[in-house]
Order: sequence, then structure tokens, then C-alpha cells
Amino acid sequence: MKGLFQELARNRILFLMIAPALLFFIVFAYVPMVGVYYAFTRFSFDGGLFGGEFIGFKNFEFLFNSGVLWNLTKNTVLYNIAFIIISNVLQLACAIFLSELPGKWFKKSTQSIMFLPFFVSFVLVGAFVFNLFSNAGVINTMLTSLGLQNYDFYLHTAPWKYIIVFFHVWKGLGYGTVIYLAAIMSISDEYHEAAKIDGANIFKRVRHITLPLLVPTFVLLILLSLGGILKGQFDLFYQIIGNNGMLYNSTDIIDTYVYRSLAVNFDIGMGTAAGLYQSLFGFVLIILVNYIIRKVQKDYALF
Amino acid sequence: MKTKIKTMGTVLVSTAIMASMLAACGSGNNNSNNSSNASASPSTEASGNTNSGNTAEAKTPDTSKKVELTWYLLGDPAPDQQKVVAEWNKMLSADLNTTVKLNFTTWTDWQTKYNLLLASGEKVDMIFASSWADFYKFANQGAFMPLNDLLPTYAPTTWSSVSEQDWKEATVNDKIYAIPATYPEYTPDGLVYRDDWRQEFGLPEIKDVDSIEAYLDGVKKNKGVTPINGKAYNEVFTMFKASQGYQQIGGDSGVIVAKSYDTPRDIVAYPFTPEFEAWVKKMKTWSEKGFWKSDTLSDQKEAGDAIKTGQGAVYWRNAPGAGGFITGMEKSNPDIKLGYFPFSRFHNLTMPTLSVNNAMAIPKSAPNAERSLMVLDKLRNDPKYYDLMSYGLEGTDYSMDADGKHIVTPPAGVEAKDFKGYGIASWGYRVESMERVKQAGGWSGFDALLEEFKSQSKPNIFAQVIMDYAPVKSQQAAVNSVIQQYGMPLMMGLVPDVDKAIATYRKQLEAAGVNDVLKYVQEQANKSFDAQGLK
Repeated sequence: MKGLFQELARNRILFLMIAPALLFFIVFAYVPMVGVYYAFTRFSFDGGLFGGEFIGFKNFEFLFNSGVLWNLTKNTVLYNIAFIIISNVLQLACAIFLSELPGKWFKKSTQSIMFLPFFVSFVLVGAFVFNLFSNAGVINTMLTSLGLQNYDFYLHTAPWKYIIVFFHVWKGLGYGTVIYLAAIMSISDEYHEAAKIDGANIFKRVRHITLPLLVPTFVLLILLSLGGILKGQFDLFYQIIGNNGMLYNSTDIIDTYVYRSLAVNFDIGMGTAAGLYQSLFGFVLIILVNYIIRKVQKDYALF
Repeated sequence: MKTKIKTMGTVLVSTAIMASMLAACGSGNNNSNNSSNASASPSTEASGNTNSGNTAEAKTPDTSKKVELTWYLLGDPAPDQQKVVAEWNKMLSADLNTTVKLNFTTWTDWQTKYNLLLASGEKVDMIFASSWADFYKFANQGAFMPLNDLLPTYAPTTWSSVSEQDWKEATVNDKIYAIPATYPEYTPDGLVYRDDWRQEFGLPEIKDVDSIEAYLDGVKKNKGVTPINGKAYNEVFTMFKASQGYQQIGGDSGVIVAKSYDTPRDIVAYPFTPEFEAWVKKMKTWSEKGFWKSDTLSDQKEAGDAIKTGQGAVYWRNAPGAGGFITGMEKSNPDIKLGYFPFSRFHNLTMPTLSVNNAMAIPKSAPNAERSLMVLDKLRNDPKYYDLMSYGLEGTDYSMDADGKHIVTPPAGVEAKDFKGYGIASWGYRVESMERVKQAGGWSGFDALLEEFKSQSKPNIFAQVIMDYAPVKSQQAAVNSVIQQYGMPLMMGLVPDVDKAIATYRKQLEAAGVNDVLKYVQEQANKSFDAQGLK
């Protein structure tokens, strides 16, 4: 105990500096966790926030009842794995290309253009998609004018997996590239110069210097995204697929299912229950993966 | 270890930069939140005082304390809302020593916002309430304040002028939870259609499903236009319900119906009926004939917009809505002639809407319920207040007609194209005798329709069946999801194999627990029918 006070006194400036961040997390991340309790109660306006009757696991029933949970979890996880891997690989590639590009002006403008989709709202993305793929949309108009058969995108589930992944990657590409670019910039020039003197060409330098030095960043980013693997991108799926039940078989994720089930009959308890299921799953997953990584390569692990 | 810290560093710094960029965009919202909190707190303090003052002298409301009320209406504010509210507050502070902060949920995501307003216990003194905004459910769960004791003292005029039946419809578990608007309406579903095209191609008068089919077919063949061009689910689903004579119980989105008005206790889940089977087979052929597009379920456009551009022919509206749409079109596209077919003609039956179809209620958390009621009483019964909050400012938003009873828009001296108009969701405090505009936007055909509806009117026995689905809520949630996934494509005839799709739909409904929901609805309905004294 004495040690703690000594520590506090000695580094009081440092502790003061970290205090706002601590406060932020306590207020916005730890205190709201109390809300987990709602998942096990029947909410009533009479009793206020904590006056609801305790009903155990009843709120979780709508997830398990109809036997759709497995399909939803599978869809959500598979989509997220595709998102994480494809996004990160493409971001990494773009960052390397950009860093090796000579012209400063071209590099900056390319980077800005790639970044722009990040600021486009999903509502607009949904409108783009509809105008591209609808009956009278760009693609079908093109097919008609080429004398080809129209394709009813909105009646077939097959193309939507690719469309959704494409738009997700497109939207996040610029953002991720910036992070990788920052990591590349922190690689000392000395390595490259030494390699050049030894006669390594650009591919060899990328292969043997840039890539290995980026692995920690890559692993870290993947680890951070794994925690949310069961949290679907609600706005992406909802804006692109909307109410079209024809496409749900391959595009329904936990978030859209919960929305659809509860939009008609609002229920705090059941909403919280679904959120808790997602968070718990993510938590277990991240602990597990981190454990594995620590066994394999201790330095790369998150904690 | 060193690399790890360094990597962490780069990632953190770049994320922090990104976060601060985004935070800058969002800061506007924070400010508005703060101000609303600040305004709520003084009124909380005041409430204690008003309460104690009132117990002492129960009959004469005490307005010596200045109070700021917070009201919420559904929908969007009018462009000159601030000016109107400022004017209103001037009048209110003179008469009642009160000001009102008038808030709007906007239509985007209003349901979520509405739910949260009530659930979070935010200090709100009055809010719009309606049977279509779950009034009965919220009242049953205790979200609103019971008003029986307050009404005679604080809203005496309203208390005596609203009819017994209207109060009864606002009553849940023997307590009045809302002040219903006094504005009887008939809102049967129906179809607005291009009557000029019907005459041009010599198509039959629309009077049943077959003539509708003939009309749609004629338009498609002769004009090459997709008749229902946009979202078509409402058109088809309401037609299905009305043509079968089904009466939906417990909200517009479920699958539980009474098979007819005359046999209210014959309650079934409609996807299991042979009529449904026949209907969706018919819809499959309609869809194949191209009466709507195959992307209709993803389309966000209203079918009515396509009529305006000559790209569509049919649009689903309730009767007053149809009137508004038709008069609007008469102004903007005088060359298009529209007709209207109310689905009530399938079975010659209409039911008036419940009084709480539009109402004002006081949330449980209201700090100043008494003063809020006094303001509402004034608003409903004083023409000066009523005109201001229903039609806006005289001179800029409207001007009085020569007869002194009705209003004219746009007002004298304002160009029609520059005119924005004043319109907010004022339905909650609407009073028929105070109105200065005619129902259905003054559509000439509406009076005849109203006569028709009145002549075949029967009491609304179904809307009073109150359900909060508490015992079957997990089944109900699962069923809702199944309807969207399997029911809607089936209804629109989009599935490749109808028989197989019907079998899947039924199987999924059963797995989701539709039978439990059905049993629950039957119990609640029978209870309500017993209370209403029906056979």
C-alpha cells in the first residue's frame, strides 16, 4: 500500500496526464456495463432503470428459439473474416505501392481520393447500390443495350456476398492505408540504403525489409478487429439489403435479425441480450487468439 | 518488445488523428445536448413547488411560478417554427406564466427516438401519443401518467367537451392515460389510380380484385408502364386483407387476423388458410405479368412519385391521404386525372379510427404535468392558440378566407412557388370544430366518400384489443423476422416455386412459435370482446 502512494507521489505528473483517459473509459465504457443487467430483466417504466423483474435467460430465447442462431452466427463470422483479411491485405498492398511511388503530388492526391469513400454515409452507398443493380439500373441498362439478357440481382442471393464485401473494402481502404503508411514511414531508411548497396531490387526490398517489419502492425490490427467479429456492420447490410427477404439467406447477420425482430415490438431486455451474446463471443475469441499468438510469437501478442 | 511498443505507437497515433478529425464533425451535437439538459433542470426544481401549492388550494390552479415545459411532437418542424413558437411563448407567458420548448423527433427513426424518450425517463411534460405509436402498450407498461384526477381541475374545458366514448378509448386498466384529439376519421385503405388511362383504353370500372387485375393488365399492355412502380408491398398486402375481409388484430405487421367482422372470435394466422394459398398463387401471376418490378422489396421510392412523372398508375393511400394526394396532383399535374377505390367497398364496411389514433399524453417523468395540461386546454379551445399552432402565422403562412372561418394558402400577396407553408404534426391536439381546413385537403370527391363510409360504419371492436405480448415476446420477435424473410417475397410473387415457398413459410412460422402467439392473441381478444359485451 505504501508503495502505491510512493509511486503516485513520485510520478504524479504522469498520473495526472493519464487521468482524463482513465476517466473517459470509466464513464463511457465501464459504467455503461451495468446495463448488461437489463439482459436478464423484464423492463418496466414503473420501476425505472433497475426496477424490472429478474427473469433469467428468457430474453435470450428469441435468438435460440427458431434455430436461426447458427446460420446468423456463421454468416456474421464469415463476412467479418472476409472483411478483415481482404481489407487488411489490400490496405497493406496499397500502402506499399504508395510508399514506393516517387511523385509527391500524385501520391498525395491518390491518397486523398482513396480516403474519400470513408466519409460517404452508408445511406448513400445503399442508393448507389440500388441504382447500379436495380431493374432499370446502370448494369441492366448496359446489358440491354448490348443486347444481352437482363439479370435480376434482387431475386438471386449469389452476387450479394461479393457486392457487400466489395463495398466494405472500398469504403475502408483509404483509412487502413493511412495506418499502414504511417507504419512504413517509421521504418528507418538505413535498411533500404544498405540493401540497395548490396544490390537488392525493389521487389526484394519490399519482400525482405518492408513486409517483415510490418507484420507486428498487421497482427495487431487483425487482433483488434477480431474482438468485433460477431458485431456485424449493421448500416452496411441494412442499407444495401434493406427489407428484401429474398436475399436474407446469404446476407442475414445477427444485427439485422435483431433489428427486424425487435423493430415492431421494442424491448430493451431482448436488445441487450443480443448485444451481450455478441460481446461475450468477441471477448472469448480475442482471449483465445491472443493466447495462441503469445504461444507462437510472444512479442506480437496484445497482452 | 521494443517493436511492439513502437507498432502500438504508430497505430495509436494515427487512430487518434483520425478520431479527432471525426470528433470535430460531431461536436455540434454535443452542444445541443447540453442546452437541453440545462433547460430541463430548472423546471425540475419548480415542480416541487407547484405540487405543494396545489394540494393547499385544489380548485384554482396556481400559476405564480414561472415554468418552462418540454413538449415533443412526432415529425419535422416547419421552416418558420422558431418564429411561431416564439409568438406562442409570448402568449403563454402572458396568460399562464409558462413557456414551452417544443421539440420534434423528425421522421427519421422516430420509433427508436420515441421509445428512448419514454424509456430513458427524460423530463418531458407532454408528448404525442397514438395507437399506431404503441399507446396501449406503453400505457399498460406504465410509461404515461394517469390523468383522471388532474383533468377536471387543469383542463376543465377539454374534460367536459371530449365525449365519453373517446375517453373510454384512452383508458387502460381503468385509468385515462391520454387526451385524445377530437377529430373523427375514417381511414380505410385503398388505391389511387390513373382514371384517364382507364377511360382511354376502355378498361372496366374498378370494383373488385378482377377489375383491378384487368386495369393493371390494360395499363401494362397499352402503356408499357409498370403500374405499381416502386414499393408495392402495401398495395398488395392491404388489398389481400381487405378483399378477404380479414381484420388484423394487434398491429399492422403481424399474421393474426379475425376471419371476418361478423365472426370476431374466429381468429387464425392467415398464412395457414387456403385463401392465402390461392392469393399468393394469383400474385405470382401478377408479378410475372410485370405489375410491379422484381426489385420492389429493395426499392425505396413511393409508387406515388412514379405517377407524377407518368411512369406509374397505382398508389396505395388511405382515404384522407388519397384526397391530399389527388388535390396535390390537381395543382402540380392538372393533365393527370386520378380516381380512388377504397377497399372498404369489397365488403361494404368501414370502422372509424379510435380516438387515440392521435392524442397527447404526459410521460411518467413529467415534472410539470399540471401546467402542461393547462397549456393543452388553452391550445385546444382558444382559436388564437389553435390557429397559431396548427396553421402558423397569419400573413406569412395563411390568410383568412372572406367567410372568416376557413384559411387560404398561400396567403394573399405570396407567390405560390415561393410559398413553403406551415405544417407540423399537430394531429395530437386537433379539434374538429376548431379546424379551418377541410379533411382530405379539400378534395371534391371526399364528401361523397364520407357519406358512404358513415352509412356502412360499424364500431371499431378490434383496435381495443390491448396486447403487450409480454408472455410470448420471444416468439413474436421470431415471427416478425420470419414474415419479412419468407412472407414478403411470397406475397409479392417473387419466389420461383410458390408451393415450396408456402410450405417453407409455414414451417418457419411454426418453428418461430406462431401458435403460441396465436393462442395469446385469441385469449386477449376474447377477454376484450367479453368486456365489450360481444357474442
